[in-house]
Amino acid sequence: VRKIIVSVLGLDRPGIIAAVSEVLFRNKYNLEDVSQTILQTEFAGVFIASRPDSPEIGELGHRLREKIAPMGLSFLLQEMETGEAWRFPESEPFVITAMGPDRPGLVSGITGLLARFDINISNLKAVFRGGDNPNENTMIYEVDIPVSVDKTSFREALYERGREMRLEVSLQHREIFEAIHRI
Amino acid sequence: LSENKEFRPVAQDQNSPMLTHIEILSTLEMLKNEHLDVRTVTLGISLFDCAGDGPDKFADRMVSKIGIIARDLVKVCDEVAIRYGIPIVNKRIAVSPIAAACACGPHQMVEVARAMDRAAKAVGVDFIGGFSALVEKGFTKGDHALIEAIPEALATTEHVCSSINVASTRAGINMDAVYLMGKTIKKTAELTGERDGVGCAKLCVFANIPEDVPFMAGAYLGVGEPEAVINVGVSGPGVVKKALDRAREANPGLDLGQLSEVIKHTAFKVTKVGELIGRRVADALGAPFGVVDLSLAPTPTSGDSVGEIFESLGLASIGVPGSTAALALINDAVKKGGAFASSYVGGLSGAFIPVSEDLNIAESARRGFLSLEKLEAMTSVCSVGLDMVALAGDTSAETLAAIIADEMAIGVTNKKTTAARLIPVPGKKAGEKAFFGGLLGEATIIRTPGAENSGEFISLGGRIPAPIQSLTN
Repeated sequence: VRKIIVSVLGLDRPGIIAAVSEVLFRNKYNLEDVSQTILQTEFAGVFIASRPDSPEIGELGHRLREKIAPMGLSFLLQEMETGEAWRFPESEPFVITAMGPDRPGLVSGITGLLARFDINISNLKAVFRGGDNPNENTMIYEVDIPVSVDKTSFREALYERGREMRLEVSLQHREIFEAIHRI
Repeated sequence: LSENKEFRPVAQDQNSPMLTHIEILSTLEMLKNEHLDVRTVTLGISLFDCAGDGPDKFADRMVSKIGIIARDLVKVCDEVAIRYGIPIVNKRIAVSPIAAACACGPHQMVEVARAMDRAAKAVGVDFIGGFSALVEKGFTKGDHALIEAIPEALATTEHVCSSINVASTRAGINMDAVYLMGKTIKKTAELTGERDGVGCAKLCVFANIPEDVPFMAGAYLGVGEPEAVINVGVSGPGVVKKALDRAREANPGLDLGQLSEVIKHTAFKVTKVGELIGRRVADALGAPFGVVDLSLAPTPTSGDSVGEIFESLGLASIGVPGSTAALALINDAVKKGGAFASSYVGGLSGAFIPVSEDLNIAESARRGFLSLEKLEAMTSVCSVGLDMVALAGDTSAETLAAIIADEMAIGVTNKKTTAARLIPVPGKKAGEKAFFGGLLGEATIIRTPGAENSGEFISLGGRIPAPIQSLTN
């Protein structure tokens, strides 16, 4: 069975998920995963679905356009890659936070470093409201650091990058946050 | 680091819930601005297998055993602290009570203390506790020798701490020991007179001493404890104060029941941190994890004060009427939160009110809001007791003993731990300032009303019988 993936973008309003899932339902697709997020006023949703007979996706695309284009939404529909996925190396979960005065290149500065160390980001929340107040310009990364990565050199590189960008950076094992906040 | 099963770290799988923004930022806030830390990781080491055919042999074996077991303590603590981003402020060692592990003469006892000092220095810990004796029911020869050695031992060592248990709910109060400790404190103060009697800051007299205290000066390894064990002392008065301030700002209508709930939640979080760190250190050292001691332990730093919590509860200062009730609330809420967070809460767990070590409490004493009598009353509802209280240098051994006896009676009768850490500051009078330095802080010498009127009572000696356990009123 080939899976399809639909991503939907547009101004947030009630009824977006209802519209997309109704089209999938009427076309006999089975939903497997849905996730949505809202940034400022913009909605973004991703849907993974499948149908046992794996038909061509042209018809579904047509129906989706009919239903959600009038709502001012755009979408991308494609078949999911069937090739082998990236295999995650054995890793440990850490949380990186970075706060400081806003300036261009903050996310790219941190993520470039993560990529260089083969560190995968499993969750990211970044907010920049401009100005110098660190609390209004924060990045929180949940990352998986492969056990093969030398943590001391990564930590040093991260702190160094933080200094260059005038950011206050922290790197802590995820367990500490769970210990403090979860029963 | 090796990891045990209970706390195995796993790479985040897709099913583990994401952390929320608020969880992460509030944790950072506790660390950055509210002084959340692990106050001490204390490695207990049994010395009962160090006995030899003389105290020299004992000292050699002790130094070498400590050197082996505690070799990586500081390094491991530093690694764990970095990994979790939680400072571990002090690394310490507690050993079996020396009076029981090595009964010898007083001069040799001083040598043993010096050997403890060398062992502590060699592994880089800041204090080693256990120059101790348990004499609530009577003295052995070793107990006598150790107590006699205390003044010189504390004056000529840097890292050694001493504690003497003179009373318990089951045995009563050994008044001969109380008197002896009055004299010992006096002499210790004199021998360290040029530093305002700082030797006494390393000497604690206890009733009902627990076997697993990680905090100094009372830390020793009880005889019921394992060969080696990691006990952790967490702190966090700043975190509690800020949590109260935030809650009251968000909702000014909160009553004391709701505020105690806020303290409980905060104590829960702080205890969880302590247990996680303690287990990680214990795993790495191959020693079992013992207890978390959840005590609100202040340092002489603004924002890290137990006294400030009273102000957050609406009292003008610690020591004014209402303080005992407020402290009872704080102490109980801290214990409830801690007991839910960890099944292994022990030590002294509660709120400390060490006068010189808390800027706010020291200031309340200076301004006259906090008297010796009020301090004593407050110790009936909090952990520990008359802690780091600076007294006039001319306070007699008998008066010191009488103050100690009162404090012991509170512990014995209420089935709780109490302690006295009194410093009669040589050459100084009430109202003058004593300086102890570093974490020990500084304090204005407090008045002792009615001093020098207890000599006859103290000189009677003997043992005050254990209190009845029924007819509770």
